[in-house]
Amino acid sequence: MDPIEKKEIVGSRVTKLDAPEKVAGRVRYVNDMTLPRMLYAKVLRTDRVHANILSIDTSKAKALPGVHAVITAADTPKFGIGVLKDNPPLKGDKVRCIRDEIAAVAADTEEICDAALRLIEVEYEDLPTVFETVDALAEGAPVIHEDRPDNIAMLHEFKAGDLEAGEAQAVHIFEDEYDVHYVTHCNMGASCCLADVDTDGRVTLYSQTQYPFIMKMDIAPSLGIHPGDLRIIQPPVGGAFGAKLDVYPNEPICVLLAMETRRPVKLLYSREEEFIVSPTRQPVEFKIRSGMTAEGKLTFRDVDSRLNNGGYTSWGATTPYVSMRTGTSHYKVDNVSYRARAVYTNNPFAGSFRGYGNVQATWALETHMDQMAEIVDQDPVAFRLLNSNEQGDVTPQGAKLNNIDLKGCITTAAEESDFLKKWQANLGQWDSPERFKRGIGIASSLHNAGGAKIHKSDGCGTMLKMDDYGRVTVITGASEIGQGIDTVIAQIMSEELGIPMRDVTLVMNDTATGPWDVGVHASRTTYIAGKSAQRAARKAREQILAAASRQSNVSPDELDLRGGHVVQMKDGEPVMPLDRLLRQMHFAGEDAELVMVSDYYEPPSEPEDENRYGDMSASYSHAAHVAEVVVDTMTGEVKVEQIWSAQDVGKVVNPVGLEGQIEGGIAVGIGYALSEELQLKDGIVQNPFFRDYHVMTAPEMPPIHMTWLETNDEEGPLGAKGAAELPTIVIAPAIGNAVYNATGVRFNHPPLTPEKIARGIWERKQQMRAAAE
Amino acid sequence: MSAMVDVTFTLNGHTTSLAVAVHDSALTTLRDRLDHAGAKLACGEGECGACTIIVDDISVNACLMPAPDLDGRIVRTVEGLWEGDGLSKVQDAFVRHGAVQCGFCTPGMVMQATHLLEQQPEMSDAEVRRGLEGNTCRCTGYSKIVAAVMEVSRDAATKTAEAAE
Amino acid sequence: MALPQFQAAPQFEEYVNATDLSAAVAALADGQGTPVAGGTDLWVQKELPGAVAGDRLVNIKNVPELKGIAAADGRIRIGALVTMTEILGDGRLKDAAPILAIAADRFASVQIRNAATIGGNVANASPAADMMPPLLCADAAVELAREEGGAISTREVTLSEFFTGPGRSVRESNELVAAVIVPIQPGRYAGFCKSGPRPALEIARVSMAITGEAAGGKLTNPRIAFGAVAPTPIRCTQTEALIDGKPLDDELIARALETMDGEISPIADHRASEWYRRHLARTYLEQELRHVRDG
Repeated sequence: MDPIEKKEIVGSRVTKLDAPEKVAGRVRYVNDMTLPRMLYAKVLRTDRVHANILSIDTSKAKALPGVHAVITAADTPKFGIGVLKDNPPLKGDKVRCIRDEIAAVAADTEEICDAALRLIEVEYEDLPTVFETVDALAEGAPVIHEDRPDNIAMLHEFKAGDLEAGEAQAVHIFEDEYDVHYVTHCNMGASCCLADVDTDGRVTLYSQTQYPFIMKMDIAPSLGIHPGDLRIIQPPVGGAFGAKLDVYPNEPICVLLAMETRRPVKLLYSREEEFIVSPTRQPVEFKIRSGMTAEGKLTFRDVDSRLNNGGYTSWGATTPYVSMRTGTSHYKVDNVSYRARAVYTNNPFAGSFRGYGNVQATWALETHMDQMAEIVDQDPVAFRLLNSNEQGDVTPQGAKLNNIDLKGCITTAAEESDFLKKWQANLGQWDSPERFKRGIGIASSLHNAGGAKIHKSDGCGTMLKMDDYGRVTVITGASEIGQGIDTVIAQIMSEELGIPMRDVTLVMNDTATGPWDVGVHASRTTYIAGKSAQRAARKAREQILAAASRQSNVSPDELDLRGGHVVQMKDGEPVMPLDRLLRQMHFAGEDAELVMVSDYYEPPSEPEDENRYGDMSASYSHAAHVAEVVVDTMTGEVKVEQIWSAQDVGKVVNPVGLEGQIEGGIAVGIGYALSEELQLKDGIVQNPFFRDYHVMTAPEMPPIHMTWLETNDEEGPLGAKGAAELPTIVIAPAIGNAVYNATGVRFNHPPLTPEKIARGIWERKQQMRAAAE
Repeated sequence: MSAMVDVTFTLNGHTTSLAVAVHDSALTTLRDRLDHAGAKLACGEGECGACTIIVDDISVNACLMPAPDLDGRIVRTVEGLWEGDGLSKVQDAFVRHGAVQCGFCTPGMVMQATHLLEQQPEMSDAEVRRGLEGNTCRCTGYSKIVAAVMEVSRDAATKTAEAAE
Repeated sequence: MALPQFQAAPQFEEYVNATDLSAAVAALADGQGTPVAGGTDLWVQKELPGAVAGDRLVNIKNVPELKGIAAADGRIRIGALVTMTEILGDGRLKDAAPILAIAADRFASVQIRNAATIGGNVANASPAADMMPPLLCADAAVELAREEGGAISTREVTLSEFFTGPGRSVRESNELVAAVIVPIQPGRYAGFCKSGPRPALEIARVSMAITGEAAGGKLTNPRIAFGAVAPTPIRCTQTEALIDGKPLDDELIARALETMDGEISPIADHRASEWYRRHLARTYLEQELRHVRDG
């Protein structure tokens, strides 16, 4: 037999494992699932935003033929869900926002559910309402939760250095405000869950969750069951993007109805309900005040922010865990202060969303940085480079920036786009009569690229077994939600064990089989689940090579696994087929051994201490984006013409998957900058339809030119870094800065809708005219 | 309750008969009554294209098509694209180009791409993008989807050129 | 109480599959029928009061008399069932009233253009319906059919007199939009503007169509119509009269904008403020008049 060459699988363009099944329409999402004797569920929601509930009468609904259960707070355990456990799945005493769940029905059909909901009678006593954070913080404001009379749900504070000294050093001090808005995930598969209870009271929940293992602990008390009696299965999910990183009332309600009826129950949101009810990105009002020397070196930065927390506390209130890092640590500044208050109002509440916390902070900071550059008459690139972090920096909060290349990202994006020449040329056209004006803008950011230790563990487990035919089954705690961790793990297995990817079977998305994992968030899965998979594969490899060594009398160090064979490391000469070796190991009488290994990887990160100091992620990375736009100064419509993205990705594991993450992430970021906004009026969503909530469509997407900076991250699996969030984080302020470069009008509050831009330009013209007269 | 009406139509080559409620959509009929869950319910209002099917060689949003109107039609869904000969060219191109992430929009996207290519085998990038305007994808940013359709389109152009020689 | 938005699809106690026009108008005769063809708006435009009339769903999709595009007596009759895709692809229509194809290209998405019918777009009477300003500019008339004494009776109403309010028109509940008729007017200037930035899949904040005989920096016999700036799609007849055949100098354009501004009455809603709708209307009209002037 001919020698077998080493095949590089990691780093090569491979297709997503489940793509063939998905293109064939063979994949069943939760939304598509049914179980025998399954019932349908729907939720009655309030029609007001702040009121005491005086009575709920479900008797007529219960009497409707085809209705199997109607539940209210009176029938269910008194336990809240969410970060502060302040959100009871069904509300019994008062309602605090438009989403609030009053009752839920399980019936034979969705139509009967609808009819039953219309028969439920609720009496309310309206309470004074409050929607703005400043109003909610004011003396005598309506109190949303009685145990928090100041309406502050959560407070985050950090200080480092000496702010006064920083002010004293400053020649220029600049302050501005940046309000960022409500946007929502728009997962194509609307929220859906399916619950089934067995004869012994054990629950199986088919869920779209991104954090199945922690969810067990979070949801069990609201069901009145032991977390051990709950199995969570995650069928394929139609998008998640952070929307499924908390328990929301639909899931306990669905289980409670299944417990009540002893039948499987499915609860699916309509698209309209999805817009109104599912979590949003956290809206924030930032005030940034900062100073610099005459040369433009930052001397201090003081950030104060208010988070509109809405009626309840979900992950949105915790976004300062990430926004604070950008606020204190993106660019070098020693004297920093950061305060974030999450303030209860009668608005809907926010959860987590791709780029969690950092989309908001980067919009504010990168807009602010552009404004600062202008004050010292520097171009946006030079000013950023002057203040850039460098390899080996330790940030004021203790993040160790090893193996980073911020300057490289900024320089690359600027050079690839010919930024400076274009930027300079555009400045001269602000007052020209041309209707269509071209602009170019740059922005960058810092993000965790090796998980984020916000729980006691940020780890992931892997179990691996090989069968008698040389096939490997990998049981991972990681969740596949469309991002492609299935493919990454298969690549790693293929590379380490020398077998085709096709011979890797993944068992995942089930808490009954998978070892613990913290969930899909914080750009962590490739880094941490990938690393755990790699460590497990290496243990298996070691066991196999030791056995091969015993049989062949060749040292294990001189052996390798390639093409389904044990081979000589030096020349690829086959020693024996892998499957035969595995059988010999297995059927060896008393010496029998199966290749069966496990690994639990805990990244070397640390939780922040009470002073918000700690190296929370095992790795960090940066990206810089340049956006070139054309603004129609009459209609205010912006066309994004081209985007340049330079990102530090560590080592690339799967270029196809990485490109997809960057392109998709940028599409979400463009929507954030230009078109997406969940419009609220008195706490009520005004545009719960795709026709009025514009996500990017194919003709609107510009060409994206990507450059990957491959820094050497020694900790990550094969040097890889998490990469999926930075694209969403960085693009929006680059677009905002480009619109400024085109028009001379600064927009601090996204989205930059056509009307907002047209109005801004029109007002500028009026001012210029008035000034000229 | 709504009235019921009998419909008979061809579903991926097979004659199918059933009674539907007159307010039903073609989508709920396919999904809930005929176990064809490839077409997805994502918005129910014709604004996202996840339920795209081909009816008498025309692509439509199945969620907006009244079920009674299925009567007498020739209906193709994503399930019918691969049965028999394996994945279609469009499906295969989607896989190879990485046009699939969560995959929820994929069946509708594949059907719309199939329709576009049947109507006009050779398309420009801009034409493909306009043609997919009614199909929302939240994962990919569309680049890879467009690349997949363009590859099939280019193959068609090559064939045309070869035939002309 | 459930939020009103969460109501289920309309239910119908009766279903009629009309296979010819007599059957269709008979099924609508008592005013209790809801005609459906493309179905693209039936489950969606719940805010429009005219969308659902009664308990009987009348499928008109298989009525041959409502199909096809035909020329006769210097006019083109566009059957109510003609889809936007068919309008886009029809050569005769492109010559006779080019504004229609230009606008149809900006209509929703391929899938919706494949299903949405011209009859449905007219019958819904949405103030923002994309095809209405171009049809108004094309001097379109609506052919309404109903049953009278066991026979089919038709009448024609000019489109400019058809609409009476948002979702409301002069169509009686026993009447069916059978066709839209446009005179053959080849060679006229055709301009269509619609708020974006998307090429098509947008509910117009403002849309505008303009036609006329353009020559020598003048627009003669002009038509100017807007969508989404009034309770119904409207024509700006005073503005038309002001510019008719006159040199479009800066001063006349400025007066045209002022006149138009007085003819529209946009509302503020979550899609746009009144200011922005007026601003867009002015922008579009100015752009098109300059375009006519400068060639």
